[in-house]
Amino acid sequence: MIVEVLKKVYRVSKALWVKSPATHDIRSHLMHDTPRFRGEHTIDYETCIGCDACNKICPTHAITMKHLPFKKQNIVPEVNLSVCIFCGLCEDVCPTKPEKSIILSGGRYDMISGGWHQDQQDFWVHVDIPQSYIDERLEAEEATRVKKEMMAKKKEAQLHNEKEDKA
Amino acid sequence: MQTIQALFQDFSTLYIQEYKPTWLKVKLQNATDIVEVAKALQSNGLTVISTVSPTDFVEDNRIEMNYFFEDILTKRNCWVKVDIPREIEQCVIDSITPIFKGALWHEREAYSMFGVRFTNHPDLRPIIVSQDFYGKTPYRRDFDWAAHEADTLGNIQAIYEDFEQEQAQNETLLDSNSSQMILNWGPTHPASGPIRLKVHCDGEDILGIDPDIGFVWRALEHLVTKKDFVGAIVAVERLCFMDNINSMVGYCQAVEEIANVEISEFAKWMRVLLGEVSRISSHMMGMGNFYNSLGLHTAFMWNVDVREYFLDFLESYSGARIATAAIEPGGVRYTLEEGMLETLQKAIEKFDATKEEIRAIFVKNPTMKSRATTKGILSAQAIEEYSLCGIVARASGVKTDIRLDEPYAAYDQVQMDYVTQQGGSAADRLKMLFDEIEQSVAIVRQAKAHIVANIANGNFNPTKDHMVKVPKKLPKGEAISRVEWARGEVLMHLVTDEKATNPYRLKMKAPSFNHTMILGELLKGESLSDIPLIFGSLYICQGDLDR
Repeated sequence: MIVEVLKKVYRVSKALWVKSPATHDIRSHLMHDTPRFRGEHTIDYETCIGCDACNKICPTHAITMKHLPFKKQNIVPEVNLSVCIFCGLCEDVCPTKPEKSIILSGGRYDMISGGWHQDQQDFWVHVDIPQSYIDERLEAEEATRVKKEMMAKKKEAQLHNEKEDKA
Repeated sequence: MQTIQALFQDFSTLYIQEYKPTWLKVKLQNATDIVEVAKALQSNGLTVISTVSPTDFVEDNRIEMNYFFEDILTKRNCWVKVDIPREIEQCVIDSITPIFKGALWHEREAYSMFGVRFTNHPDLRPIIVSQDFYGKTPYRRDFDWAAHEADTLGNIQAIYEDFEQEQAQNETLLDSNSSQMILNWGPTHPASGPIRLKVHCDGEDILGIDPDIGFVWRALEHLVTKKDFVGAIVAVERLCFMDNINSMVGYCQAVEEIANVEISEFAKWMRVLLGEVSRISSHMMGMGNFYNSLGLHTAFMWNVDVREYFLDFLESYSGARIATAAIEPGGVRYTLEEGMLETLQKAIEKFDATKEEIRAIFVKNPTMKSRATTKGILSAQAIEEYSLCGIVARASGVKTDIRLDEPYAAYDQVQMDYVTQQGGSAADRLKMLFDEIEQSVAIVRQAKAHIVANIANGNFNPTKDHMVKVPKKLPKGEAISRVEWARGEVLMHLVTDEKATNPYRLKMKAPSFNHTMILGELLKGESLSDIPLIFGSLYICQGDLDR
């Protein structure tokens, strides 16, 4: 009796040593991997010039432009992945060089299989901009504004002087 | 061509132009002449009507009707245009359906979308659209979509009430001698896809079939007008995913014709290469679907296994397996890089390794043969009568293939010939699919060798030649372009306005429309169990059926 059971246990446990005929776990490794695979977007807020081209071409209106508190280059794209059809036209029209600001080629493919989605917000590509970057940009903007003002004042004074000289 | 031109001497015309080598473009003055013109054309051998396409010109207060008559054997085609008033009450024209049976559904579609009424039409009911669109004109330029969509509840109610009413009449006559009833085949039948066949039957015998279509209507022809010329490709490719490349080729050719842009030789060959790969992947699904609808899923699995290798190539090239969006006006969208053609080579090798087995088991299958060689027979005459095309036409021995009749891309340099079968039965259509896969693989080999050789000797630059710049704003104009799609002829009729940034009107004629239209004729008198067989053999896709 016990021998029978042991035999069965031995027979079944042999499966532990046999190599699986499956070679790939496609949840983590693709059967066919290509650098052009159109997956999740990466957005570079530092190089983005805020031209709105990706938003305009998007055939499904998956892109919304997030407003930033700057005077220039004050919008940056955010993508709703549950609306996006991954056509890649946004990457095509992005004018920044040499690296495009919005890229989906080579993006992650495990959006459904990976189990990383907790709620609807996970299907968004949000742009998280650190406060330090915002402060930096604002400071730079303020500095240029002050500089411009100073220049304008100087010019005005110069003109004024010239006029007085003529008079 | 001269004989056709001579025909129009009896009618008052605004202009007669030669258009492309195989087309004659005529504008009639009087809409009342259309029936006589159709009769004259038919008696001169132009026996096929490709489609009927209205274009709505709001500012001129007219609707322009376009009729595309074709002679599928001798490559003479005629494009007839005529204006009719735009007001709903006066928007009437004589139907040509009594002369060309193939126009039956095309005129119904024009009626549903543009409100054009056809007098003497035998069956002028709305098609494709659901009940909430009845009496409305969704494709007219001034249709208020927002107002329509605002009344969602009312729309659902309309659809629901109509459905209730219809189902109440399903059981028409039930007694001990006979039991006539209407059987719903689909839209959730495992073999049907999103289509509903209202089968009028007496016991097991089919009395007639009334297909109810439009379950996946996305109004693509309207969507395209909301996008720019490049963005429109994603709507065009959704005609049907199985063969998305060739539909984009058709659209892009029309844009290039209006923009007067000549694409590079490399791009032309790439279009051939990608198009054939796409055709192979579509046919593999088609073969699988044929057996799927018969209840044998092995064929589907085996074919899909081989198909994956071809999709690998599409993915290497474009970054997507199914919705590639790989053809743009001006050429092809991506550069060709080293190693991509090796992926294709792998696919061809896989096909070569498995083809004999697939042929022996599925194409020469004796059970299938005994079942399918006597069913769904279409004669060559019926092909012309109902304006059928593609593999359905070629399975009946009709030599028609746009790749040879009106060569586009680089097909004029490709060595190929008509592939036909003589029987016209369901089994012949399955054989056609496999024969065409073999033909396509041969073309892929040619195109690949040509591209490799020309890259090696420096004629092609795969990183620069793929695109020619197409201006963002197009001049006023119109063009038609035809391609041999996996399922048959796709005709794109593109109209643009002055300084256009998006299409004014794009008519997409898709082959499944006609192939579904003849289901009733084919199945009359057969038994219920033949529906999946004949439906599966016609290679219908609901994507291009509904658009």
